Amino acid sequence: MASLEFHDPSGAIEVKQSHAPRVDALAGKRIGFVSNEQWQAYRMLPLLKTLLETDFPGVEVLPIDAFPQGNAVIGSEETAALVKASGVDAVIIGNAA
Amino acid sequence: MTNAVAGLGLAPDAAMVTFPIEMFLPGSDISPVQARKREFYDGLTTWRSTLAADGSGDAPMIRVEGSSVEDTFARANYLMLANRWGDGLPLWPPTRQRVDWILGGTAQPRRRRLGTLPPRGGVTTIESCAIALAMAGGRPEYLPVLVAAVEAFLDAESGSAQLQAASGSAFPVVVVNGPIGAAIRLNSGFGCLGPDPQRPAGASIGRALRLLQQNLGGALPGIGTMANYGGLRYTNVVFAEDEANLPAGWAPHGTERHGFAPGTSSISLAFANGAANIRRRGAKKETPEEDALQGMYRMADFMRVPNMPGLAGYEDGTPGILMLPGVVAQTMAGLGWTKASIRQFLWEHSRIPAAELRRAGCPAWIEIDASKVVRESIDLDPWPITASPDNFVIVVAGGGHPTNSYWLQGYSPGVVGRPIEPPPDLDRLLADAERDLGPR
Repeated sequence: MASLEFHDPSGAIEVKQSHAPRVDALAGKRIGFVSNEQWQAYRMLPLLKTLLETDFPGVEVLPIDAFPQGNAVIGSEETAALVKASGVDAVIIGNAA
Repeated sequence: MTNAVAGLGLAPDAAMVTFPIEMFLPGSDISPVQARKREFYDGLTTWRSTLAADGSGDAPMIRVEGSSVEDTFARANYLMLANRWGDGLPLWPPTRQRVDWILGGTAQPRRRRLGTLPPRGGVTTIESCAIALAMAGGRPEYLPVLVAAVEAFLDAESGSAQLQAASGSAFPVVVVNGPIGAAIRLNSGFGCLGPDPQRPAGASIGRALRLLQQNLGGALPGIGTMANYGGLRYTNVVFAEDEANLPAGWAPHGTERHGFAPGTSSISLAFANGAANIRRRGAKKETPEEDALQGMYRMADFMRVPNMPGLAGYEDGTPGILMLPGVVAQTMAGLGWTKASIRQFLWEHSRIPAAELRRAGCPAWIEIDASKVVRESIDLDPWPITASPDNFVIVVAGGGHPTNSYWLQGYSPGVVGRPIEPPPDLDRLLADAERDLGPR
């Protein structure tokens, strides 16, 4: 019998920033989209807007161009500030591929 | 997919609804969005993160038993593959003894934190570099080069956070300057991008960097990296500039690009996603001047393609790394060429007529680029493939033969330099290498 003991090479993961709290329900809430304008986002996100508005009474879903669009700007602090200032309860981000 | 999306700036375990790629193509059927709408709703309401804070940086030990030494070694390798820690080739299990041996290549504390490797966010330390280098068959004297490369990789300027996950198959290219290269047998001559049993440093260092990208960074094919092809990713590209054959007046790359004093051991890291040999030599009765000029046109013509990865480094990065053998550099220098004049020639003669850009649909990519410099370049005709001649990286390396040069097509928002801190007991380590690898 022989044995080997060696390091797990996958190390550790650090979580530096927790996720935003979820909303308790969608009815009556204000939802925004942050779109990179790629990968058919211009079709999928409006469909999602329609679905939300159909399924949840009183929900307000902002149009997909309510915030700056495109990979170049959606990760910026300026966009984040605009989203925060808009008073939305939740945001859907798309599309990655 | 989780890691790939995280590479775009989201947390590694962000709430996501994922679909097959076909739905993201023009003209696709997007009805699955409706069919799976509940998943979107749950992501906004009931979803909870499964990650807990950790960040200790400690790597736990794993024990493997077998019926013999050979059986145990095999079981250890199969376990690493099963856990997705390997690259398919045999690995040295990173035992405590081997990792401690590797750590003899640096005076830095093993727990010194270098950062977190995207997109997975694995905590990266000196020790984790030593573990990867041990797995890759490395030696202690390679560790300072790997650490410098990892530091450059983790620099936001390198673009690694996005390139790790992106589909464009980026791989790091590490150019080493200064005396450390020759000392640790880093190849700068014949076959410097390939296997060499007497000069294995580049393969080990590059493989270790790749293992870190995968094991800490989560860049597994189709999971953490959407690279369509992933070429040159077994060992990445790590080589030394052939400074012994730099013509008089030609500065080392580390000095030209990063301002390191000549003689400084340093690395320079960029990303590329293509590699091509260019036959640059003439075949008949060319004069030396004709041979040089025709070769320059052939190289520039090769670069004159509407290839959008070049946009990544258009402003401050690089369109690519051109490797010229020392014998070619010497001849060209004798005719009055300098690295600067070569860059200027390539910049001028690799420009693309706007009509060719339009027929290839390039303006759309230029218009949506994050860089104002890129967006405004659309008015230029012919369109330069990079904003400035200075962005071309010219490195003297390769075997002493005049026929070919080599082009590593850039996909690199930045070119990041770092000095190398030599091992504390380099002479002893080199003597050990002489013992283990044989005389030079």
